[in-house]
Amino acid sequence: MENQALVTIIPWTFIAQILNLFIQMYLVKRFLFKPIKEILAKRQAMSDEQLDIARASRAEADALKEQYENSMANAKAEANEIITAATKTAEQKSDEIIGDANRKAAAAKVKAEAEIAQERKKAVNELKNEIGGMAIDLAGKVIEREISEDDHRKLIEEFIENVGEAS
Amino acid sequence: MDFDISGARIFFRIPTGIPILGDILISETLVVTWIVMALITGLCIWLTRDLKVEKVSKKQAVAEWLVELAENFVRNNTGGTRFDKLIPFVAALFATSVISNLISLVGLRSPTADLSTEAAWAVVVFIMITYQKINAGGLLGYMKGFTEPIAVMTPFNILSELATPVSMACRHFGNILSGVVINGLIYAALAAGSAALLGLLPGAVGDFLSKIPILDVGLPAILSVYFDWFSGVMQAFIFSMLTVMYIANAAEG
Repeated sequence: MENQALVTIIPWTFIAQILNLFIQMYLVKRFLFKPIKEILAKRQAMSDEQLDIARASRAEADALKEQYENSMANAKAEANEIITAATKTAEQKSDEIIGDANRKAAAAKVKAEAEIAQERKKAVNELKNEIGGMAIDLAGKVIEREISEDDHRKLIEEFIENVGEAS
Repeated sequence: MDFDISGARIFFRIPTGIPILGDILISETLVVTWIVMALITGLCIWLTRDLKVEKVSKKQAVAEWLVELAENFVRNNTGGTRFDKLIPFVAALFATSVISNLISLVGLRSPTADLSTEAAWAVVVFIMITYQKINAGGLLGYMKGFTEPIAVMTPFNILSELATPVSMACRHFGNILSGVVINGLIYAALAAGSAALLGLLPGAVGDFLSKIPILDVGLPAILSVYFDWFSGVMQAFIFSMLTVMYIANAAEG
């Protein structure tokens, strides 16, 4: 079998090796780079998707939290309102009750005073009449003569008036 | 004991009758190159079989690592993603070079021990470099580049331009050929040594045993760590590295 020279360039071998290099480049590209690139892209897409999902659920959770916090704050405000209203109502009621009682007591006092005054007036009048009668009787008996009863009465009333003022 | 180192064997000679180009020689170089290509392609197909997005197998991890390695190699040496189109080319170049260099370990003749192979690669790289230079500075700018810094330098500039592919090809070829030569020398020397040693034995036993190159077992394997493994991987790396760097430099103008 013949051998080529140790250091030589065979033109056709040279051309074939150039073609071989490009064929090899295509083969490596087709069978190694393309599938690996595809799988890497797929993985990238998947992790992106996962991240998106995570971000979305996080946003959802945040929204829920905010909503919850809002409703908590609302509930607190409402409770405060209710308490305030209740306190107010209670105060109003108690004021009303106390006022009522005061008024009633005052009315009772006024009535009692009026009654007392009336009683007194009545007593005074009775006394006046009695004393008047007595005085007339007494005077009649003392003088033993009938003076005009009207004069007497006038005198007595004047006297009693004085007595009433003095008492 | 005679020892000689010759070029690749020629299996077929297809006459073409074309002057200069000569006959098509189906030599060891071409046949082993096809074996190397089949190996690389088979490896690629095997590595990328049933790829998964999750829970990747070790095989897939290796494949992904290789792709990332190639990408990083090109991107780090060109400083960016401008030359991403070059990645499969550089990967193919490196893979072919490395497997061609190492295939001598199984007894086949390295295609890279034939200057035709390296010359082909270097010319492809040279065309790429020139294309990038013309692309960056225009045809006039490229021509003008040879007259700098002074017109007298033009011949030297042209020489240095041509020296790039020549040096790339010869560096790779020289290293691999030297490995072949040294390995051949060592095998021959050790065979001669063992023949001399065992020939000391008397009678027919000595005659028989002296034909067995017993010293060839062991020592050449250790030496091949440097001459085949280290040198083979190193030259493939250097060739790819220079390819990327020359092209990146050319694009910068």
